[in-house]
Amino acid sequence: MSTVWVCSWGAGALARGVEETLSFGRRLATAAGAELGLLVLGATPPGAAELAGRYGAATLDAVPDPKLAPGRPDALVEALAQACRARAPRALLFPQSVEVRLVAPRLAGRLGAAVVMNAIDATVEGGKLRVTAAAYGGDTHAVYEVVGDGPAILGVSTMALRAEPVATPGTPAVQELSLELSPVEERIRTVEPAKAEGPRLEDAAVIVAGGRGLGAREHFALVEQLAAALGGMAGASRPLVDEGWVDASRQVGLTGRITRPALYVAVGISGASQHMAGCAAAKTIVAINKDPDAAIFKHARYGIVGDCHEIVPELIRAARERRAELEKES
Amino acid sequence: MRIVVCVKEVLDPDAVNSFAVAGRLAIGDDGKSITQSAIPRLMNGFDEQALEAALRLRDAGASASIAVVSIGSDPSNILRHAWALGADQIAHVPADPATLDGHASAAILAAWIRSTGGADLVLCGRQASDDDQGVVPALIGERLGMPVVTIARAVSLVGSDTVRVTRVTPDGDEGVEVSLPAVVTVSNEIGTPRYPTAARKLQARRARPEVATTVAIGLAAAELAPRIHLVRQLVPSVHGRCELLDGGPAAAAKALVERLARDGAL
Ligand SMILES: Cc1cc2nc3c(=O)[nH]c(=O)nc-3n(C[C@H](O)[C@H](O)[C@H](O)COP(=O)(O)OP(=O)(O)OC[C@H]3O[C@@H](n4cnc5c(N)ncnc54)[C@H](O)[C@@H]3O)c2cc1C
Ligand SMILES: Nc1ncnc2c1ncn2[C@@H]1O[C@H](COP(=O)(O)O)[C@@H](O)[C@H]1O
Repeated sequence: MSTVWVCSWGAGALARGVEETLSFGRRLATAAGAELGLLVLGATPPGAAELAGRYGAATLDAVPDPKLAPGRPDALVEALAQACRARAPRALLFPQSVEVRLVAPRLAGRLGAAVVMNAIDATVEGGKLRVTAAAYGGDTHAVYEVVGDGPAILGVSTMALRAEPVATPGTPAVQELSLELSPVEERIRTVEPAKAEGPRLEDAAVIVAGGRGLGAREHFALVEQLAAALGGMAGASRPLVDEGWVDASRQVGLTGRITRPALYVAVGISGASQHMAGCAAAKTIVAINKDPDAAIFKHARYGIVGDCHEIVPELIRAARERRAELEKES
Repeated sequence: MRIVVCVKEVLDPDAVNSFAVAGRLAIGDDGKSITQSAIPRLMNGFDEQALEAALRLRDAGASASIAVVSIGSDPSNILRHAWALGADQIAHVPADPATLDGHASAAILAAWIRSTGGADLVLCGRQASDDDQGVVPALIGERLGMPVVTIARAVSLVGSDTVRVTRVTPDGDEGVEVSLPAVVTVSNEIGTPRYPTAARKLQARRARPEVATTVAIGLAAAELAPRIHLVRQLVPSVHGRCELLDGGPAAAAKALVERLARDGAL
């Protein structure tokens, strides 16, 4: 039986979005008459087998080589290529991340294999794999057919998907894959490591994001104050980053942070597809925009049409009052 | 040194967005392509920024020739723009984009680079704004045996054989170095690309891109065989169920906070 493999590596943990990718993989495996497996590169984090079983994986293959870690693309590509040659999987699925966007296509190049990023669905039609991926930031969906039967390499847009555990969790067969990685040397040398500072937008439960409608750099303070009043973090659309008003780490969207907060408040943001790609999965979206026809209102649950400079100060006041009430009650 | 910048012609993404918002983005009878002829074609934004990175290297004193290459039906406008900005060589490889996937595009770009004297540095955009795939640079790197550094916000030379790249990562900026030759992909954080001078723009009207056929650069038909092909493109519908709150700023703000509290969103 052929395998649909979900690949994961991380610093002491499984990759973000591995649950959603396993769920995606299980649907594909069912359609393809294949088995779902989890491939873990680097030390296997505690609980990995249990998680794999919960999402229907029949196997867990581990490659516990210390060379396999984030920031080691040459080793990761080589290990994946060797693993594919050994097992000939039908498809290789990656929960998409910045590093996956390098490793997956390089692997495809190494193997001469089909590759599709931003996948949101995959199925089998007439024996052929069909992959749906977002294009134009999400304005369109492109359906690609995979030619040939080598492994198909897919980057999965996990924020658009739900994690769906199986009704009766199983116990995957755990195996170690031994690969020869000693000749691999990383060609890219890190001379100044990134230092993650403070909380990440990806983890925020509440995000208030500002866009070009703010009109001036100093008005971003409104966004920060509303974020503080709601107990959340401040984000931004790309033009604010391009203008240098805010740091790149604030950018929400296709080429910024892909977030999934409980509450997303968009202030003076038009709702371009490339922006929505980073926040459309929010549970509740609120839009504040002076243009009633702005795209953002199509995505929002609640909207206020008007000038953000008048509305946001009132919202800050209302949110603070609500907090004060809650604190009094408790 | 020789820098090669790969540029793709795409439909103006802002125009595509506008049509999408207005509900007027339509797919043609082939079921695959966007039909609006009113949407202008231009250089992929990140590719403009890749060219900007090349020009900045030269500004910083690198003695570099800059070659700009594009595969497509007729990318001469974007290639002339590149020439106006200071490219030393502009080249067009004719091919119908509909028949290409990332592999075929990378095969062509790698073969063009090889057959025209190689490259010390290949600069690409981080992704094309039409397919958003971002796979071609990595595939070029594999074909040419070059390391690939993604999402640069700054690129500089260290000595004559090493490039230093500041990358935008989810954990903040990261500084890396890599020996040349290498492929680097450039992101918008590098900043607004320059405009050509009026005089260069005028001169550029007469600039003719070299045309290099796939046969001339030594590619066999089998190397152009795509691994994926587009069978359908559709415009997804967004179902809005937005409740608009009104009554003036204060009342609307209050109503919003009440609803969010009721929904358990606070
Ligand atoms: C390949 C590619 C990748 C991209 N990646 C990203 C990305 O990751 N993230 C991202 O955000 N963008 C991204 N973009 C850009 C995206 O297409 C949009 O251009 C951008 O999101 C627009 O930002 P905005 O909504 O702030 O500005 P605009 O589109 O200019 O919208 C401003 C809005 O503010 C409203 N407004 C104006 N004044 C007021 C006021 N006083 N009060 C209230 N409302 C007001 C206007 O009605 C308008 O709707 C990308 C584009 C491309 C091509
Ligand atoms: N047809 C093309 N001609 C020249 N360069 C291209 C072409 N297609 C892709 N590229 C380069 O590869 C990058 C990523 O493209 P893609 O993988 O299609 O998202 C682009 O930003 C360009 O630098």
